Amino acid sequence: MNASESVVPTDGLTRRRGLLVPALILLLVFAALPALLAGFDKGYFYQIANLALIFVLLSASMHLVTGVAGLLHLGHAAFYGVGAYTAALLTSKLGLGFTVTLPLSGLMAALVAFLVALPTMRLVSIYFAVATLAIGQMLYLVMLNWVDFTKGPNGIIVSKGFELFGFSLSGRLAAYYTVAAVVTLSVVAIGRLSHSYYGNALRSIREDDQCADAMGVSTVRLKMEAFTLSAFFAGVAGSLWAHMTGYISPGDFKFSESILILAMVVVGGLGSLPGAIIGALLLILLPEGLRALGDFRNIMVGLVMFLSILLLPKGLLGEVSALRLVRRQLGAAWRNTGKGEGIGWR
Amino acid sequence: MKFRLLTLTTLAAAGIAGSAFAADTVKLGYQLPLTGDTAQYGQDFRKAAEIALTEFNAAGKPFKVEIVFEDSRSDAKEGTNIARKFVDDKEIVGVLGDFTSGVSMAAAQVYKEAGMPQLSQTASHPDYTKVSKYQFRNIATQAQEGPYNAKWMAAKGFKNVAVIAEQTDWGQSVVSGFSDAVKANGGTVAFSEFFNRGLKDYRSLISKLERAKPDAIYTGFFYEDGAQFLKQLQQLGIKTPVYSTSAAYSPKLIELAGGAAEGVHLTSNFLPTDPSPNVQHFVDEWKKRSDGAVPGQFPAQAYDAVRIMLAAVEKASPNPTREKVRDALAQTKDFPGVTGKTSFSADREAEKELVKVEVKGGAFVPVAD
Repeated sequence: MNASESVVPTDGLTRRRGLLVPALILLLVFAALPALLAGFDKGYFYQIANLALIFVLLSASMHLVTGVAGLLHLGHAAFYGVGAYTAALLTSKLGLGFTVTLPLSGLMAALVAFLVALPTMRLVSIYFAVATLAIGQMLYLVMLNWVDFTKGPNGIIVSKGFELFGFSLSGRLAAYYTVAAVVTLSVVAIGRLSHSYYGNALRSIREDDQCADAMGVSTVRLKMEAFTLSAFFAGVAGSLWAHMTGYISPGDFKFSESILILAMVVVGGLGSLPGAIIGALLLILLPEGLRALGDFRNIMVGLVMFLSILLLPKGLLGEVSALRLVRRQLGAAWRNTGKGEGIGWR
Repeated sequence: MKFRLLTLTTLAAAGIAGSAFAADTVKLGYQLPLTGDTAQYGQDFRKAAEIALTEFNAAGKPFKVEIVFEDSRSDAKEGTNIARKFVDDKEIVGVLGDFTSGVSMAAAQVYKEAGMPQLSQTASHPDYTKVSKYQFRNIATQAQEGPYNAKWMAAKGFKNVAVIAEQTDWGQSVVSGFSDAVKANGGTVAFSEFFNRGLKDYRSLISKLERAKPDAIYTGFFYEDGAQFLKQLQQLGIKTPVYSTSAAYSPKLIELAGGAAEGVHLTSNFLPTDPSPNVQHFVDEWKKRSDGAVPGQFPAQAYDAVRIMLAAVEKASPNPTREKVRDALAQTKDFPGVTGKTSFSADREAEKELVKVEVKGGAFVPVAD
């Protein structure tokens, strides 16, 4: 999907096509898929569908920071963890249900993100990436080592499943619809944010932050907002995960999860929301689908990722080339010699 | 989206094809890390399970057993996926695994809901067996091992001890199980700290620890961390005696630490040098499949866990169901395994006999006191 196409519909045909695709997707997510799931009636398929949806949300939320604003974020899983821990602690200590923990998880993750963003958002390129790496690690270590509060490595049992104002939604189909509704609403919100003047302002940071600054765009404020908003949605995903599995521990939110989410955004295509969604589906469904290959499945997944970056440097549906983004992030050490030698390390 | 539909249909087709199976075969599931950071443990468990399974199927029983191995990578996401998959397969009557407590606990939430008996060879989380009546484990808990070691060290005259352990749920239980017993015996814990798994440099921990001047050090680590710690202790010239748990009991500890492992005291319930025929049989089979290497504590626990599960399936036959297998597991009493006799208590904890061991001349030697 081309961004300019959907933002400015030029004639009736495009406008109708612009509605057709979302309508088909909604039909698939809320009618066809649940019908299929109910037809097979396998807990495994429900589980995979829910897990894939949660990672769609994580990937879409990271898309806002990394895809649209072009900031390499290496600590996203930590905000996912803050959301999950908020939900788990509110449930286990105060006995609150999903209806309350869902928004609070998002707000808590956003608050933490805002606080850590205050001193770090003036950083650019590689320094920003390293700062987010450090933030992710710090939050992970807090979950692991603050034993009195988070129970540390013992993790927390979340005794309550999904519910809405006291009505239980813990049946398989009800749980699927809960996850699907929350994820769809969030993705629509992220889509509106990224395909708007606001999104274009974020893109201007990605393309040239100094130029954007000179034109009067408040880059620091925008970065902070994008970072906080993205953490909010990651927190929401965390709440979904906590209530879905019924048990969380710090291991679910370590660095490798951040990298997994980053890989989803990159494989799907940086800057493209459909890309981020497809990337998440690919990296969740592929390893499960390849279970029959035994020990080789990780190699296969790695191969798919490698080939997709090699052959499709913009990802499956990307706006921006991943290589170009990395090159700019590591700008000082990478240059074009201009003598036909190509691009390389200094 | 189309891709996803396609994958789901393919998965479904594979599921249907897999369920066509002969009636006189009973299926078990085993979820374990076959790839990833902890793959070495999972690979050992699979090897041990295959030894136990081959023996069982060769013994001319009225039915055969098949074990479905699934790779969890020690990841809770994959662990719960596998749990759902096992529960969906109506022919699977019992599940073994997972390796880490975190994944075992996450999967246990699924098994609890579905009524599937789950027997882990290693999950040591204090709350694991409390999840539901379907969770069993074949590992001596630190609630048992801690007081045993505290008594042993007190008898040796070590009144003031330091305790360190890895920062995991298991490490937490090592410190609490041991420290409580030391205090109850009138001793003191001079120093207690956790370190993160895979730490490379223990020097700052060691110097802090030595400042507390303990009579002895009690440690909760697995062999990789243990070897690093012991080597650095030796490099710093510290002679304070070191005691450890059965988790460090692996030939690889001595292999990796070399001379630094000399004099380490630890507990175990598996001795490869034990002359009893079932131990020697297991050790021989293991050596055949691992270029002559000797099995450690964990593979032995996995071997016994699989055999306990197989015995329960046999007891529940003919036509074993998940409920019948659970009840048969709960009745396990004095099971003669390679890790000694095992009984499950009313709260599904393994009660095991412990043996005292010291490293002498590059080998584990049983000691009387």
